[in-house]
Amino acid sequence: MTLAFLDPSPKPGAGRHVPLARSPMEAQAIAAGARMERRDGWNVAASFDGPDHSRVVGFADVSYLCKLELQGETGGQPTGTATRAGGAWWCPLTPTRELVIGGDPEPPSGASVVDLTGAFCALTIIGPQARETIARFCAIDLRPKVTPVTGLRPGSVARTPGIVLCEAEDRYLILVGSAYGEYLWTVVADAAGHLGGGPIGVDALPPLPEALPDA
Amino acid sequence: MTRLAPQPGERIDRSRTVRFTFDGKPVEAFAGDTIASALYAQGRRIFSRSFKYHRPRGEMDWAGQGAGSLMQVDGAPGIRAATEVVREGMVVEHQNAWPSLDFDVMLMSDIAGGPFTPPGFYYKTFKWPRRAWPLYEKALRSVAGLGKLPHRQAEREWRTEYRRRHCDVLVIGGGIAGLSAAIAAAGQGADVVLVDDDVEPGGALLAEGGHERVRALAEQARAAGVEILSKAPALGFFDGLVPVWQGDTLHQIRAKRHVAATGAIEQPLVFKNNDLPGVMMSGGARRLAALWAVSPGTSAVIATTGDRGLDAALALHAAGVRVHAVADLRPDAADRELGAKVQAAGIRLLPGQTVVRALGRKGVTGAVIAAVDASGRATGRLEEIPCDVLAVSAGTAPATSLILQSGAKARYDAATSRFLADVPDGIVHAAGAVAGHEEADAAAVSGTVAGLDAAVALGLGGASAERALAEERKRLQALPPAPPVAEPPAYARDGKRGGKAFVDFDEDITTKDIAYSVAEGYDSIELSKRYTTVTMGPSQGRHSQLPSIRALAAVTGRSLEEVGITTARPPWSTVPMGALAGRPFEPAKRSAIHNRHRELGATVKWAGDWRRAYDYGDPEGEAQAVHDAAGIIDVSTLGKLIVRGPDAGAFLDRLYPNRVSNLKPGRIRYGVLTSETGRITDDGTIARLDDETFYVTTTSSGAGAVFNWFTWWQADWRMRLHITDVTQGAAAMNLAGPRSREILQSLTDADVSADGMKYLDAVQAQVAGVSCLILRIGFTGELGYEIHCPSPHGQDLWDALMEAGKPHGIRPFGLEPQRILRLQKLHILVGQDTDSESTPYGAALSWIVKLDKEEDFIGRWALERAAESPAATALVGFSMPDGEVPVEGAAVLDKDGAALGQVTSARYSRKLGKVIGMAWVPAAQATDGAQVTISYEGRTFTATVQTTPFHDPEGALVRS
Repeated sequence: MTLAFLDPSPKPGAGRHVPLARSPMEAQAIAAGARMERRDGWNVAASFDGPDHSRVVGFADVSYLCKLELQGETGGQPTGTATRAGGAWWCPLTPTRELVIGGDPEPPSGASVVDLTGAFCALTIIGPQARETIARFCAIDLRPKVTPVTGLRPGSVARTPGIVLCEAEDRYLILVGSAYGEYLWTVVADAAGHLGGGPIGVDALPPLPEALPDA
Repeated sequence: MTRLAPQPGERIDRSRTVRFTFDGKPVEAFAGDTIASALYAQGRRIFSRSFKYHRPRGEMDWAGQGAGSLMQVDGAPGIRAATEVVREGMVVEHQNAWPSLDFDVMLMSDIAGGPFTPPGFYYKTFKWPRRAWPLYEKALRSVAGLGKLPHRQAEREWRTEYRRRHCDVLVIGGGIAGLSAAIAAAGQGADVVLVDDDVEPGGALLAEGGHERVRALAEQARAAGVEILSKAPALGFFDGLVPVWQGDTLHQIRAKRHVAATGAIEQPLVFKNNDLPGVMMSGGARRLAALWAVSPGTSAVIATTGDRGLDAALALHAAGVRVHAVADLRPDAADRELGAKVQAAGIRLLPGQTVVRALGRKGVTGAVIAAVDASGRATGRLEEIPCDVLAVSAGTAPATSLILQSGAKARYDAATSRFLADVPDGIVHAAGAVAGHEEADAAAVSGTVAGLDAAVALGLGGASAERALAEERKRLQALPPAPPVAEPPAYARDGKRGGKAFVDFDEDITTKDIAYSVAEGYDSIELSKRYTTVTMGPSQGRHSQLPSIRALAAVTGRSLEEVGITTARPPWSTVPMGALAGRPFEPAKRSAIHNRHRELGATVKWAGDWRRAYDYGDPEGEAQAVHDAAGIIDVSTLGKLIVRGPDAGAFLDRLYPNRVSNLKPGRIRYGVLTSETGRITDDGTIARLDDETFYVTTTSSGAGAVFNWFTWWQADWRMRLHITDVTQGAAAMNLAGPRSREILQSLTDADVSADGMKYLDAVQAQVAGVSCLILRIGFTGELGYEIHCPSPHGQDLWDALMEAGKPHGIRPFGLEPQRILRLQKLHILVGQDTDSESTPYGAALSWIVKLDKEEDFIGRWALERAAESPAATALVGFSMPDGEVPVEGAAVLDKDGAALGQVTSARYSRKLGKVIGMAWVPAAQATDGAQVTISYEGRTFTATVQTTPFHDPEGALVRS
């Protein structure tokens, strides 16, 4: 209960008030024509009319993904590579600090857990021009031989501290501080748009496997 | 008509006509022509007017190395017409001449202005009378510079792209050496990018008989997976980052290894009128003929110091240009293989001679040839030979700038009379002409060696690559040396008056200017460069560095080695400022509630790296609403840290000068952070959530620094705790005013009555269905609640509070009214009311320092010393009877009129009906009722000191 005020997931006993969790990019998604749907207490940009931009490059607001920071007794995985288990990405940032993204993870019992869902906003960038798009605002080396699938790269993203995770071939999860959400959408939309891409809804994202075998 | 018969390897497509205009007149060109080649084919010889003297200038090298053909193209100034390929409908205009290129009024500055415009004239002239300077400035601005920007912003805007590219090997230069290097590296599995500044890779050989060979190599490179960027000059070398400008894209290329195959640049000879249109490099004349099938002239004279000029003579002769004579400074030129060929072709060869003067006014009409002594003075007969093109070659200078920027050292090579670069073992490999291998075969092998070397250094190719590298190195060593080149004189002259001999065409710097700078004491190459501006023009010394070094050596009597070379700096090629500025997006933090502020018409400004609502149009009214009813402000920008663990309390005890570990769960304490020297660095609140969890708030701009401070000390102390920055994870809003309790109570089941939630209580509860942490604190001086929630719920919570507050008269208020409110309570703003020298003692916060604390804490020793020695100034409140608000920063004078303090904050308070503020005043005057003098803008004002809050000094309202 101590840190419940950081957790945006729906709570019982809210009574007549039913708050909606919103992404910092919500206004821009709506302005771009998103069809919004309420899902698990979040207002989610589910789809967009128009062409399927992921054939070139599409970007989807996935800020609703749960993000838990574990400190202390983390899995002890080496940094630089995320693992996928239980529908979540387990991202070791240091030997004693891990970020768990998505899914409904069961943290190790000895770890200190802080809900950072609201602290980060997130975009999934997908398509053949995904890397080229990211190269317009991020200098992290995402060539497959340097950042293969599950490669985890904290670094400067659009001149802000961020994280890039290669979720699959031509698919990248980008996280930056949630206060930069509007700025990030602007930057990504500009880069993707110039290359012929655009926003897509989360329903257009192919599902990821629940788990991936260790590399 | 100057168009030649089809040339092997020419770039033009004679089946496609392209039409454009030049100075309003139509020009017909072939597809593949450049602006300059098309105009030359039409008969134009003057392409620009020089920077200072407005002398007529032609194109010298036809490779874009110089600035002789800068023009305005489709509104963009400074375009190199010699390399800009024509497009249908292009609008091309001349620059820097009025009324036309062929007749420029400003030529007066050449005829009569010389004595008034020596080097550094701007330090000596236009100074008298002083009041006339605005007039001088206006006139100088209108005549200075090259080209004009369109007036309308819309016509000046263009989109730039930034593209980051990583690769294993970056090859800079697409000549035979660069292509060979790229192929060799890619063949071992390297990811290779090759950048070249020409429209196609191939380098000098494209125009010098090797076009088939290099075009085949380019195809081979592409087939091997090399990414080739053409018309993409590299701008500099920044610790392994090489920016490359291509079209509208700035590629930022980061490679593990670099191959510098940047070639060598043909150098001009220095003689009187060496800048006349029609004087061009021998390689330039060949390019014009070979690539665009344009005859450089009807009759040519060539002056050379080596085989380049002889080769050019034969090539021009074969293309149908009549070559009258070749003056080769080498006395044994006739005995050399190429010399014999020249003579066999019926061309007159003049060994041991060079050009000492070009004749003509708007273009070259003849060359004066003579033998010269070591100093360049003509000896013996002067022969005038008519010609309309004078092709010159003083050998080449390796293009070492990029290599030198990477950390290589320049070295003078006496054998070739030029400066080379000694490349240390590292990430840069030199190849081709820049490494001293100019002949095509040698350059190719040199490139292969560099490419293999880079691949092997990256661990690619295994033992076979190492063997291949060893073999290629042997091949390179076995190749014959390059034929000798004579060292040209610094200045070849006939001893007659009249004419100027240029060492820098861009900046109009003559040999006389170099001598002038030495006479004035600027006798080193670095000083002379800055005083004369030699090498500082658009070509960045490509044609002027070596000649200026020779000129300086001749004047000072030093050797070239002693004179040395200037420091190589980027950019090596011109690049628009817009390219460096990148996309126009500035990282800005916005709270989850920001859209509501926009909708409410807030004045939004920067507060650190956040965009914040300063007010909603009525700051004084907004502040008053907090007193009268209720106000709500978005304080999501506050720094917020979770410090959690068994040692969390003890950790905070070490960082704060007051006690934290004895704070009870559910209670809040104000905290001031101090540095090791006892200076205030930040402030905020500390709420204890449970036995092991503390919620620390900081100033908005200090959040990052405080987090770093905490983690820094934790890295040293390794206490049992974890620190998490949740600044952006939690939204926060301050609901304040006499009606705030009712508003809040209507949205929560928690007991927020006076007894249920006391001042400095911290309670977790749902508010409007949102999980919140409610901190009962007061920055505004009224009853208030700081409500923290998950940032995704921030907007909905704000909406709920505003809705619930409507019947009570709630108003949103911004930073500006908040500043009025806190000033009324004399709450400090760290960084505004304090600076890097402020201690808690001086800032009226001595109560917060617990020197009797058992735990040692940061800054303790310094604070103990500060407690013993009172500061000369103290922070107090003040009020002023009249309505003028003193500027923040105004001086506070001591009794003797010396400035001893300053005003840090000042506002008019509608609630109090007077001007109030905070200031550092002399300690002796830091007592209630004392009068202090404030001074600014030459005026003085009297203010009355107050050390207790102006509003609700007992704090009854915040504690209600």
